[in-house]
Amino acid sequence: MDFPFIATAHAEAVQEVAHTAPKMDPLHHFQVVNYIDINPLGLDISISNSVLWMWIVVGVVIGLFHLALKNPTLVPGRLQSVAEAAYLFVETMINEIIGHEGKKFFPIIFTLFFFVLFCNWTGLIPGSFTVTSQLIVTGTLALGIFGFCIFLGAMHHGWHFLSFFVPHGLPPALLPLMVPIEIISFLARPVSLSVRLFANMTAGHTVLGVLFFFTATLEWFGAWLPFGFTVVFTGMEIFIGFIQAYIFTILTCVYINDSLHMH
Amino acid sequence: MIASAHASAGGAAASSGLPQFEPSVFESQIFWTLVSFFLLMYLLKKYVLPPIITILDSRASRIADDLQKAEASRKEGERLLMNYQGQLVAARQVAAQTLDEARMEANRYREQALEELNKELAKKKNAALLEIEQAKQKAMEEVRDAAVELSMLAAEKLIAKSINAKDASRMVQEAVTQLGKQSQLH
Amino acid sequence: MESLPASFIGMGLAATGLGGAGIGLGYMFGKAIEAFARQPSAEGQLSKYVWIGAAFVEAIALYGLVLAFIIMGKG
Repeated sequence: MDFPFIATAHAEAVQEVAHTAPKMDPLHHFQVVNYIDINPLGLDISISNSVLWMWIVVGVVIGLFHLALKNPTLVPGRLQSVAEAAYLFVETMINEIIGHEGKKFFPIIFTLFFFVLFCNWTGLIPGSFTVTSQLIVTGTLALGIFGFCIFLGAMHHGWHFLSFFVPHGLPPALLPLMVPIEIISFLARPVSLSVRLFANMTAGHTVLGVLFFFTATLEWFGAWLPFGFTVVFTGMEIFIGFIQAYIFTILTCVYINDSLHMH
Repeated sequence: MIASAHASAGGAAASSGLPQFEPSVFESQIFWTLVSFFLLMYLLKKYVLPPIITILDSRASRIADDLQKAEASRKEGERLLMNYQGQLVAARQVAAQTLDEARMEANRYREQALEELNKELAKKKNAALLEIEQAKQKAMEEVRDAAVELSMLAAEKLIAKSINAKDASRMVQEAVTQLGKQSQLH
Repeated sequence: MESLPASFIGMGLAATGLGGAGIGLGYMFGKAIEAFARQPSAEGQLSKYVWIGAAFVEAIALYGLVLAFIIMGKG
């Protein structure tokens, strides 16, 4: 007995299911999509979702601070105390690590902290885009800091800055071994700085993406478990977003301090 | 295998790994990251940091002011306390002095009174003693006189011979002295 | 060897790096709790460094994850 039409129907049904069943793709929300292509003078400055969210972050940071400091009072309100606490937080960090000379770097460190922090946090809004999950964004920031530190060191110490790569109190016989290690560890700084932030954000959002996928696709009796996990992980991601922004800035402070004081 | 940005943007991203490693979108992101960062820095520097610094400074100066005021009023209070304590000490001294004086006065009065009393008593005692002595003397004289008269009478009667009063008196004196000795011996 | 299965194996191997980070995190938090138990008054100061250290160790694990993703792209 041969019922070819059943077989074909079955095959079609399978194909149908394969088409309609949601496909797990937790990396989809890292996709950069160009909204407007702009290519003046061969330079690609297209507006993508990443760029859009950078602007939103800038707007959110400025907006929140504006709201907090709209009519500043001597006895601060809630938002104002948060803004002041943020200022003092960064100030303490700079004072602890760089010391008194660090005052002139305050705007850079402050901006860096809030840019990274709000890039991390706005990425947690469902449907948004996490700017810091882009390796090139964190890489640009890290390389910028790296270049800035070299520039600072060269300005402060001139050629003497090269002694940065020679550890103190080392027998001269070990120098050929240690100097390359020091140079490599110095060059690894921007890499580790950028990859740490990017990997944290990517991993966190991937996990969230997988959990959301399960929440959306499982039956109701199975979905509550991953849903609970998404709640927990979102809280965790808020914490990690803060910690990573803190570490990014604190390491920047350490690097600037190294350039100024050479170990 | 690295697909072009637009191809991977259309879908099928999973097969080509992380979308972050897609070099075709790097250029615009580098540019806009730098622009956004410096824009944010400019805006923060211009509109956010000055008010925070102003308010923190004003609060710090206000607190320093208040502290100074508190310190001043504390000093004033301390001064007042010292003043008051000084006054208290002075008052205590005055009171103690007055008390001492009163005590001394009282002592003086007492001693005076005691002295007067003693004097009076001594005077009275002396007077009494004198009186007693006088009375004794008188009594002795009377007794002697009586004894003289008696013995004279007795002698007259006994020897019927009158002796002059002088001799008789001497004999009586001897007799009395003997009598006194005997009485003392007893 | 086929490139796809090999890349899957490679991704799995890259993910084993998480084990090291797990050991590191456990060691660090264990030591931290020990320190807090000995000196509860130091908890405020030390916990800051614990969290920073935790983030560093965690980042090491995520380097492995990034490697896995890179292999996934090449596979």
